[in-house]
Parts: sequence; C-alpha cells; structure tokens
Amino acid sequence: MSLATTPAQPALNAAAQRRTRRPRRPRRGGPLRPTPVIITFVLVPLLVESVSVFWPAIQGFYISLTNWNGVNAPTFAGLGNYRRMVSDPVFHKALTNTALWLVLFGGISAAGGLGCAMFLQRERRGIAIYRAALFLPVVFSLTATALMWQTLYQPNGMINSMLSTVGLGGWQHAWLANPHTALYAQIVPALWREIGYVMVLYLAGLKGIDPALYEAAKVDGASPWQQFRNVTLPQLRSVNAVVLSVIVIDSLRSFDVVWALTQGGPYNSSQLLSTYMYQTAFVNTDFGYGCALAVAIFVLAFGVIVGYLVRAFKESD
Amino acid sequence: MSSYSLSRRNLLQGVGAVGAAAALGGCATATKSSAGTQTGGAVTLQSDLSSPLAEKAMQALVAAYGKQSKHSLMLNTIAATTYQPLLPTYLTSANPPDIYTWYAGNDADHYSKRGLLLDVSSVWNTMGNYPPAFKALSTDASGKQIFVPTSYYWWGVFYRKSKFAEWGLSEPKTWSDFLTLCQTIKSKGVTPIGLGAGTGNAWVASAWFDYLNIRINGAQYHQALLQGQHAFTDPQVGKVFDTWKQALPYFDPNGTAVTWQAASNQLIQGQTGMLLTGAFFADAAPKGSLDDLDFFKFPVIDASVPDAEEAPTDGLFASAKTGNSAAVLDFMTWMAKPDAQNMWTQTSSGTVIPANPQAATPTSPLAKKGQTMLAGASALTQFFNRDSSDALQNTANTALTNFLQNPGKLSSILSTWQTQAEQVWKTA
Repeated sequence: MSLATTPAQPALNAAAQRRTRRPRRPRRGGPLRPTPVIITFVLVPLLVESVSVFWPAIQGFYISLTNWNGVNAPTFAGLGNYRRMVSDPVFHKALTNTALWLVLFGGISAAGGLGCAMFLQRERRGIAIYRAALFLPVVFSLTATALMWQTLYQPNGMINSMLSTVGLGGWQHAWLANPHTALYAQIVPALWREIGYVMVLYLAGLKGIDPALYEAAKVDGASPWQQFRNVTLPQLRSVNAVVLSVIVIDSLRSFDVVWALTQGGPYNSSQLLSTYMYQTAFVNTDFGYGCALAVAIFVLAFGVIVGYLVRAFKESD
Repeated sequence: MSSYSLSRRNLLQGVGAVGAAAALGGCATATKSSAGTQTGGAVTLQSDLSSPLAEKAMQALVAAYGKQSKHSLMLNTIAATTYQPLLPTYLTSANPPDIYTWYAGNDADHYSKRGLLLDVSSVWNTMGNYPPAFKALSTDASGKQIFVPTSYYWWGVFYRKSKFAEWGLSEPKTWSDFLTLCQTIKSKGVTPIGLGAGTGNAWVASAWFDYLNIRINGAQYHQALLQGQHAFTDPQVGKVFDTWKQALPYFDPNGTAVTWQAASNQLIQGQTGMLLTGAFFADAAPKGSLDDLDFFKFPVIDASVPDAEEAPTDGLFASAKTGNSAAVLDFMTWMAKPDAQNMWTQTSSGTVIPANPQAATPTSPLAKKGQTMLAGASALTQFFNRDSSDALQNTANTALTNFLQNPGKLSSILSTWQTQAEQVWKTA
C-alpha cells in the first residue's frame, strides 16, 4: 500500500524489488516476457495438435449432428442421431457388451498382468524366456493372431477336439457362431495379448519399489499377503493410473479382434461400440450416426478415466 | 502427473484418428461444387483388384493399352476393403481419380443420381454387339449409360461328379427333385448342403435368399424388395422362408460357424454333398479336383416364374469431373473390345466370362456351362449387396444368420429386418 502513496517511489522500489527477486523470477512470472523460442515451442505443437487432433474432433462432432451418407451434402439433424441411439437395440447390445468387455477384459488383464509380474519379477536363470514368451503375443500381427484363433475356434478345431479328448465333449460349441459364447470367446485372444503388455508395465513398477520397504515390513513381522497389501499395492499407485488408462483405452478400441473374428456377429450378439461405429460409418456409409457413436465412445472413455483420476488425486491429497 | 498427460494424449489421438477420417470426408463435401480444371495429362485408373494375380493382370492391361494409345494411363491399386468405404470420398472430391473398377447395377446408379458419373453413351455406340441385358444394367435412371461391363460370373449349386455317380444321383430340375436328392445324400451319412457363412462370411447365406426369392416371387419383385418398394414382412417373403425351412434339415448344422473356405474344402473332400456358391469357388479349388467339379442351375420352384440368374457383373465407370474425358472414353472403348477382355480372362483360372460376346469363349467346361445358363436366363440379377447396398447386406446378414439358427423365431426376425432396412433406405 505504501508504494502507491508517492508517484516517484514506486518505480524505484519496484526496480529494487526486481533486483532482489531475480533468482526466483522464472517461478513468479511477473514482468517476464516469453522469448520467441518459448512461443515457438508452445505454438508449433499446438498448431500440429489443432490441425491433426482438435479440428478433426470438432468436425467429427459436427458430423454427428447431421445426416450424411458421404455422397449427398450433409443435412443438419440436430440431436436426431443421439435420439436414434436411445431406441436402437443394437446400440444397447453394443453398450452392454462394451461394459462387459471393460470389466472382464480390464479386470482380468490387470489382475493377470500383476500376477505374472509378481511371479516373474525375481531374477532367476532363464526368467527372461518366460517374460518374453508372455510378451510375445503383443508383437504378433493381429491379422495372423486372428487367423490362428479363428482356426482354433472352428467347430472341428483344436479347442473342440481337446474338449472331446479329455471327455468334455458335451462342452463343445461353435464358439464364434453361438451368440452365447461369441463375445467371451473373443475376450480370450484379447486377454492373451493384453496380459503380457500389462505385465511389462507392472514389472517396471515393481522394479521401482525400494527393497528397504520390504525389509522393514519383514522386520515388523508382516506376512507375504500383508507385504503385498500394504507395501506393493500402495507403491504401485502411479503405475495403476497408467495401467488403467491403457486398459480403458484398449478395451474401448478393442476393435481388431472382434472385426477379424465375427464382425460383431452372429446377429449383432458380439457387437462392441467400436465395431458398431466402424460398421455404421465405413460399411453402411452412415457417417452421421457413425460419428454420434464415436462421440459416445469418447464420452465414455473420458468419463471413466477422468473419474478415476479425480479419485486418485483426492486420495493423494 | 505424467500418467495424466499420457492418458489424455492417447485418448485425444484415438479420437483424432476417428475425427481425421471424418474430416477427410468433410473436406470432400466442402469442395464438392468445384469442378476439376486440369485438362490432358495422365488419366488415373483406380482399381480395387488388389489380389496379386489380379493386380498383375491389370498392370499388363494398362501396359498393353499404353503401347497402342497416345493417352497415358496410371494404375492405382487399392486394397478392396479400403476401396469400398472410400469410393464416395473419391467421387465427391474436387479432383477425383478418373476411372474406377466397380460393379454394375444399383451401386453405380446410386452415384449417377448425384451426377457424379461420366456419361459413357459414346462408348456404348461402339458396343452394338453386347446383349441388351448388359445395356439395361449399365443405364441409369435418366436413361444414359454410365457403366462399361468387362466381365461377369455365375452362381450355381456345385457338386462333385464322382460323388453324385457313386450315390446314383443326377442333377435335379425342380425343388421337389432337389429335396429328394438331399434326402438320398443324407441317407448315405453325408451332410447334403454346405454353407460356410461363419466368421465374417455371413453374406454367402444371402445367395439362398436371393435364389429362393427369384424362383418364388420373380426377379422383378426381388429387386423392388431390395429397393424398399416392398417389405420384408410381406407374405411373399414369408413364403421364401417357408420354402427354405423345407431344406433346412439338410443344411450343415455348423453352416453359420465354418468359414466359406472351410465349406469349400468340405465339398472337395466329400464331407458335404453340395454348395451354392459363385464361380470364384473354382478359382479356390485345387487344380487336381477341378475336373471332378460340376454345378447345376438352382432348381425351379414355381414353373410359372421365368428363370432369372445371378450374374454379378464387373466393369468400369468414370468420374463426371474428369479433366480428360477424351482419354477416359478412349480407354473404356478399348476395354470393351474383345482383345482387352481376352487378356483379362486369360489371367484368371477361367471362371470369369468376358462381357463382349465376340471375345474368346472361356475354354473350361464349367465356364461354358455357366455362360450357356446365363444366356438362357430371362433376367439377370447382381447379388444381394450389388442390387441394394452394403448397408442392406448387413441387415440381411443379421436376419439370415438368426433365421438359420432360430427358424422358429421367423416372424420377429422379419420385423426386425424390416425396421433395420427402413433405417438403411432412409439414410441412403
């Protein structure tokens, strides 16, 4: 306040303050002008991001408000496509399946990945072979993977013949053609690929835990379960956030397996939001409704991840 | 927190990828009205014939054309699965490729209605020797020609001659003969009818729907139904399925589970007796088994309905916005001639028939038989998706697979089909 009393003093004072504050200037900002280099570093990625990400996303949202078949000029439809979603039984099926997929695929790959990482974390002779074997499915081309699983699942394929060999002939199914098994039969190859990936993320997380914590826990007489519950899990919190994001994103875009194996069939019983969106937009060339489905997928993914992060931040506070 | 930015970025990239495709389309609509201004220069031939054999054959054709013409032509081959969804984008862009490989019939007409296709009537002036059925197929609603057919193939009920001889059977002419024949094959412990509509091949089941509908209600009704002028809940359509039900006990119970490739192997290995399929089946058959394969015309159900046959026709159309229509028309005229079509059919295994009647007749006995069958047909249809759209094909896949697995739920299946089809007709 006193600075404002006389007009001459403030300048002097401010100059003095500036001098004393110089070491901390980058943090406080104040009169510092960003240099052209900094502006370039901010603007160029922003521009690239705008052209390649934000603008198309906005376009996609706009198209979701139109009826457009790719040939005629789009006509504005307001929220018509979203209203259509509400009464579309295939959308409901796809939504339920995506939720099921998220829970089963997400849950099992997180648990399985963590389990494998715990099991394979200790350095032993030949352990790398096991790790590599589990990670290998991630590397395979998906088309090849799908062909392989398609062959396994054929009515006279390996899975059915193995079942009859062990006397479980009654369990045989036309796995991919039966509407009751098709979805679950496709979660298996997706898991087969995802577990190895999640395992690698958790292995890195486990490596980062200070061994002293375990020693301290042992000294306190903690059982292996207590060590896992009270040392390992809390220490993996930051990895969990990454794993969750990866799993949510991967399950919402789990398109390739289903498209390659059943294309959402038989009669839409294994339709996911992603396959339904692709079919609507790129096979049926109903771009308006396809984009509306894409927006729904975006909202879902965003909702799940933001919800988790808000909770995670609250906990860490 | 690093994990936050990581997830956000991944997420936005995912959304961006979806949006990017949409934006490409968006640009296309935005620039729709501006016509291409370039004249002369190389003409682009956009081709979806991406199998190695077919691509090589196309390259040979383009090279042969280049040798005898003053115009230059550039071949651009695109994977068939990418080509189909992008075709509207190509055609509506400001500077579209000039010539396209595609199907005759409703699909071409669909683009022509929007003024996207080049009038090729002048090419047709040189094609006087083509049968009128081809001209009708290449003519759009306004009466001008927009398509040049190059080749076609046929569908039939394929079987193994040696097996039929072993079982003492001959080709059935009528539906009741056919059912008796199925009964005989079944009594020999063999599945009479293979299907192969599993894992992504659901569309093959619509061959049965097409043929039953053509034989019971006629080709005209069939095509009108696919255009939305009748309903799938009509009693006529109900009759198609009631007839189908008579044959259902003879179908492979795993017909909706095995792939089309597996179903063709089953026929070749004698595990099934018959397979209703297109001539491309012979392309896939091992060389040694080809001599034992034969086919018969889909049996007559109602003698008062004139026989129509499925004859999917491939050929070329061109963009209305081409900057060098002289070169485009020159190439299409050349492709309509016997020499070019001979070159093309020689490279396939002899199961496609050249569209020009003056081109060399296919040498294989199968193709000869197919050609004779089609020549005697009162009308030609294209196939479910070609006579309607890929969107309607999807609704058929859903309905027919459901019917094959749950024939008892027919009425609810048909009303769902009608609801989904109405949505498709509304969007188109």
